[in-house]
Amino acid sequence: MAGASAAFAFAALTGTAARAQDAGLGTADAPVEVRMIANEAFANQWQTVMVPEFNKHYPNIKVTIDGVPYVELLAKSMLDATGPSPNYDIIIADDPWVPQLAEVGALMDLKSAEMAGWTAADYDWADFNAAPLAAGEWKGVQYGVPLRSNMLMMFVNKAHYEKAGLPLPTPAITWQEYLEQAPKLVQDMDGDGKVDAWAIDTYFVREPLTPTIWQTIMNSNGGRLLDDNGKPAFNNEIGVAALETHRKLLEFAPTGAVSHGFSESLQAFRQGLVATMFQWGSVFKGSAIDPKTTTLKPEQVGIQVMPVGSTGPGAHRGIWNGTVSAKSEKKQAAWAVIQWLSSKQGEAWHSATLGVFPARKSTLSSTPAEPWLVPVFDALQQAYDAAEKGQMWRIRHPRSDAAQQILADEVARAMAGQISAAEALQVAAEKIEKVLN
Amino acid sequence: MGTMTAEGARAARPRASAKVADAVSRWAFMAPAAVILVAMLAYPIFYTIEISFARFDLMTFSAVEWVGWDNYRHVLDDYRFWSSMKVTLVYLAFALPLQIVLGFGIAFLINADWRGRGTVRALFIIPMVVAPVVAGGIWRMILDPLWGIVNWLIGLAGFAPLDWFGDPDLAMAAIVIIDTWRWTPFVVLIATAALLALPRDIFEAAEIDGANWWSMLWSITLPLLVPIIAATFVVRWLGAVKMFDIALAATYGGPGGATNVINLFIYEEAFRSLRFAESAAMAVIVLVLTMVLTGIFLAGSRALEERN
Repeated sequence: MAGASAAFAFAALTGTAARAQDAGLGTADAPVEVRMIANEAFANQWQTVMVPEFNKHYPNIKVTIDGVPYVELLAKSMLDATGPSPNYDIIIADDPWVPQLAEVGALMDLKSAEMAGWTAADYDWADFNAAPLAAGEWKGVQYGVPLRSNMLMMFVNKAHYEKAGLPLPTPAITWQEYLEQAPKLVQDMDGDGKVDAWAIDTYFVREPLTPTIWQTIMNSNGGRLLDDNGKPAFNNEIGVAALETHRKLLEFAPTGAVSHGFSESLQAFRQGLVATMFQWGSVFKGSAIDPKTTTLKPEQVGIQVMPVGSTGPGAHRGIWNGTVSAKSEKKQAAWAVIQWLSSKQGEAWHSATLGVFPARKSTLSSTPAEPWLVPVFDALQQAYDAAEKGQMWRIRHPRSDAAQQILADEVARAMAGQISAAEALQVAAEKIEKVLN
Repeated sequence: MGTMTAEGARAARPRASAKVADAVSRWAFMAPAAVILVAMLAYPIFYTIEISFARFDLMTFSAVEWVGWDNYRHVLDDYRFWSSMKVTLVYLAFALPLQIVLGFGIAFLINADWRGRGTVRALFIIPMVVAPVVAGGIWRMILDPLWGIVNWLIGLAGFAPLDWFGDPDLAMAAIVIIDTWRWTPFVVLIATAALLALPRDIFEAAEIDGANWWSMLWSITLPLLVPIIAATFVVRWLGAVKMFDIALAATYGGPGGATNVINLFIYEEAFRSLRFAESAAMAVIVLVLTMVLTGIFLAGSRALEERN
């Protein structure tokens, strides 16, 4: 008992000491400055729009956000966080990066006693959907919270279905039905006798996100990337059939689609060249609403979960997590930033103002600020449920990026017809097993 | 004799001290440059070699444990390494001769004295100053099968559109075209300077002897230019072997691995897969191969110079 008391007293003292060393939330005379490293795709928008809004609530915390290209972000975050005196207090980590950063001790446990003392009483952890919240977790510890939630979804250009005389797809459409309709969606839209519209565009190019399409098809048919022992489990009939389906999509895609990825497929959809697109849901506003970035009208564009396989609809998780650097001397202020942005109030503002997808059930079940968000929120909730059920996310492991690159290489070879789907998955499984061990 | 020796010794002492002072002052001037050179060039190379023989710990971001040749064995067992080496060889085999031939050919054609020559030369520099990633992106748009101007022109001529980035051979051709667009002007600049420096009297004598344009080109200009051509080849070789950014921006190394040049593969393994030790091993292998081949090219270049 005495020992326990002593330990408690020690913990209380060290906790106090830790807080005494922390810069706190700043004062008007001595504001605290926190630095954040984030993807350049949204860093500037956050700096110019989100930070002023945050400062209405926390005027004494100055936030500086450094935008870094996606391909350099993980390496730079790792390099900084493992240095003796890191520059960044907040690291915005992509979905598969949390295990890597956590494994090197770079991140704070957001539910630790120290952080819990700085967490608002109404910060409702249980309100998060399980799938996005799990992106910030590793080995039972919560290192991150979802700040920008995203899911791979199916976008529909309704005009193409009407022209082809096909019923509009619903969330219940199966892969088989989708592939049966696809040939009719390769058509001549303007009546000049030449094919100028195709059924699909999505990721086919050699890059790490391309295997997510194959994986989603596989997951919706009950397949898994890894088994319970962390060994590759995709090298089987379900995996091969899924990769063949992914490759079959090329037959109904625009010329040159084998070199298409995020930008090219998005451009094709927004130009009205394709009937469907498997793409990250966050592009909905720019594809359907904003006339500066799309030729399509809001009523023309539909969004839903990806087609249904033998076990359910498809989706794939892509969450940007807000994390606090373990070596930061401004942990309280850093946590205040990401806590506010992921709170019920902050998330509602974020979604209404910047169109960013929420992760909280309360936000998704509320009436959105914009009417166009109503079908988006419905589809997003279905996607979260599907992702949670089918574990539809990339490999979670300290070496997940190496494994994803191997998948990218082998899926690309299969897409280009250089090897069969079975050979590609065989090679990928052997290489990934070595990498993960 | 003794007097002479004493006088000689007295004279030698100032000479010796002057030599030492001279050496000290020379080294003093050289030291800052030498230190910077060692820090900027030698240290990264030795650090890369160290990492290539070690396990790289991401927690400390440093080499932590000697593993001998393990990383090299992993690399040599990986078919992707050999595939990338082969892709790089194909790219070099097409791009380098094309750039040298085009560069010297264009230089020869624009060598005549005509108004506006200076402006044209200045315009030639533009592709060189465009960032490789930007060049790759621009050419990706130009060659795009759906929206690109090249396929539109091909269509006007009545031919079917070409899938520049979907067909492995055409994707490699696209990389060679982009690289040639960027670097041929560099060769043109060197070749132009070389042509202007050729001795006029030889050409005047040949003219008096009745030599025609072709004879002068074949028997005088080209032999005189051979050392310059060889030197330019070596310079371009050293630049081309490092190329990866154009492939990264234009083809992402695809389709499949058709344009995955070795430096793109090294870059991806290091900064996407965070396999720094294996990447370092690949970098060392490429460095050694490049040094050996450069040595051979330099020896060949020297032999050509001596022959002339």
